[in-house]
Amino acid sequence: MASARRVWTIAVGRLDDRVIIVTGGAAGIGRAYITGFVAEGAKVVVADIDGEGAAKAAAEVVAGGGEALAVTVDVSDVGQTEAMAKATLDRFGRIDGLVNNAAIAIRVKHVNAPVEELPVEEWDRVIAVNLRGPFLCCRAVLPHMKSRGYGKIINIASGTFFKGTPFISNYVASKGGVIGLTRTLAREAGKSGITVNCIAPGLTASETEEMPASHYEARVPDRAIKRVEVPEDLVGAAIFFMSKDSDFMTGQTIIIDGGVAIN
Amino acid sequence: MGRLDGRVIIVTGGGQGIGRAFALGFAKEGAKVAIADINGPAAESVAAEIGEAGGDALAVVADVSSEESTKAMAATVVGHWGRIDGLMNNAAMFQRPQITDGPIEEIPVEEWDRVMAVNLKGPFLCCRAVIGQMKEQMYGKIVNISSGTVFSGRSILHYVSSKGGVTAFTRVLAKQTGDWNITVNSIAPGLTASDPERDQSAYEGRVSARSIPRVQEPDDLVGAGVFLLSSESDFMSGQTMVVDGGAVMH
Repeated sequence: MASARRVWTIAVGRLDDRVIIVTGGAAGIGRAYITGFVAEGAKVVVADIDGEGAAKAAAEVVAGGGEALAVTVDVSDVGQTEAMAKATLDRFGRIDGLVNNAAIAIRVKHVNAPVEELPVEEWDRVIAVNLRGPFLCCRAVLPHMKSRGYGKIINIASGTFFKGTPFISNYVASKGGVIGLTRTLAREAGKSGITVNCIAPGLTASETEEMPASHYEARVPDRAIKRVEVPEDLVGAAIFFMSKDSDFMTGQTIIIDGGVAIN
Repeated sequence: MGRLDGRVIIVTGGGQGIGRAFALGFAKEGAKVAIADINGPAAESVAAEIGEAGGDALAVVADVSSEESTKAMAATVVGHWGRIDGLMNNAAMFQRPQITDGPIEEIPVEEWDRVMAVNLKGPFLCCRAVIGQMKEQMYGKIVNISSGTVFSGRSILHYVSSKGGVTAFTRVLAKQTGDWNITVNSIAPGLTASDPERDQSAYEGRVSARSIPRVQEPDDLVGAGVFLLSSESDFMSGQTMVVDGGAVMH
């Protein structure tokens, strides 16, 4: 009886039984990925520096009939990223996917300044989370993925890298670095059946409580598709990169921003 | 439960190779597929294959380099299904002996013109033929097939030039059509083993440059095609996705 039900499930979800870690998964865009992955049958690990937020998101998934694990993690800390991978393996026995979504976003608690005025500590803090973070998380999951001969990694860059947006040099450099990491890791890990790709979103209305609507609306006139970008706009691409549909695509970056920046 | 349920999609060059794989893949996801090909019997054969599998397909004979022919193609599809949701500009001239591989001074000028007529003017004419219908529907999905060689510069001069044009064309058309919710994107494949009659060592020769070291098959491209023709890519436009096993990186 269980096996009959299982066949039906396989026919429905594109991520059935895949175990996927989403860093920064408790809120905003990361939370939208969680919802999308669960709808496609994945088991998810909500990894976030906000442990309470992660627990709440995981509980919501479980309440909806899905499987989820909450992990508190500071992605810039080696030990914590290793613990995140271990907790995932202890619970689910495998790691199929990693979305390096956690980042210090440009709009939240961030100093905007020209290069010569940007505090050095601000540079270090953003690079530590946005670039060292993905490096550490990849480092933590790769031995397992390589041993299984399969894995799907998504890094999140930003349309600002293609535009050279001024006064946030630390953010833009961190996101450019993420594209570099994507390319090199793709070449290193391809023969192990691991794909590494990158999504570069435009400014997305993910923390509407923290910013006025006008902040997001200001970007609309530049777009080919003239509306505010929302987290759900990114979910389809993330499912694609987490599914077998993208098994021969690696090292690439796709911009999803309504057609402003071009790649 | 298909991701392309009810969508009417035209695949040019759908009678063989990569185009055939796209057509079959789209039908599997619930699309109604117009197989447009200059080779009528090939188009009929793929349409029949889809029909036998329980899908809905229509064969259309079309020369994408002819304005009249592309207009007739669009009219036939609208006449048959009443709408056009997607266009995959896949038809192209791409390999020896169709086209000459050699230094610039040895490429016949007429051959340059012919490659541009099919590979670049073809997508222009096909888009021109369907865009009115898509604007009326306030929705549309266009996918152009470019090539990884645009980024590597390592292939036949006029072929690569035509595909570079396709990527540029994608970018401009995306900016022009967003107000109607029409997305325009490109897929840039690596050399794909689409011709069983070709010397297979040509395909194997590309393997060592890839992150994923194996021969590329037509089915490797279908997932990206479905993604770009489905609602999942509705906020993505003007972009080029390289699907080549990680040879070039874009």
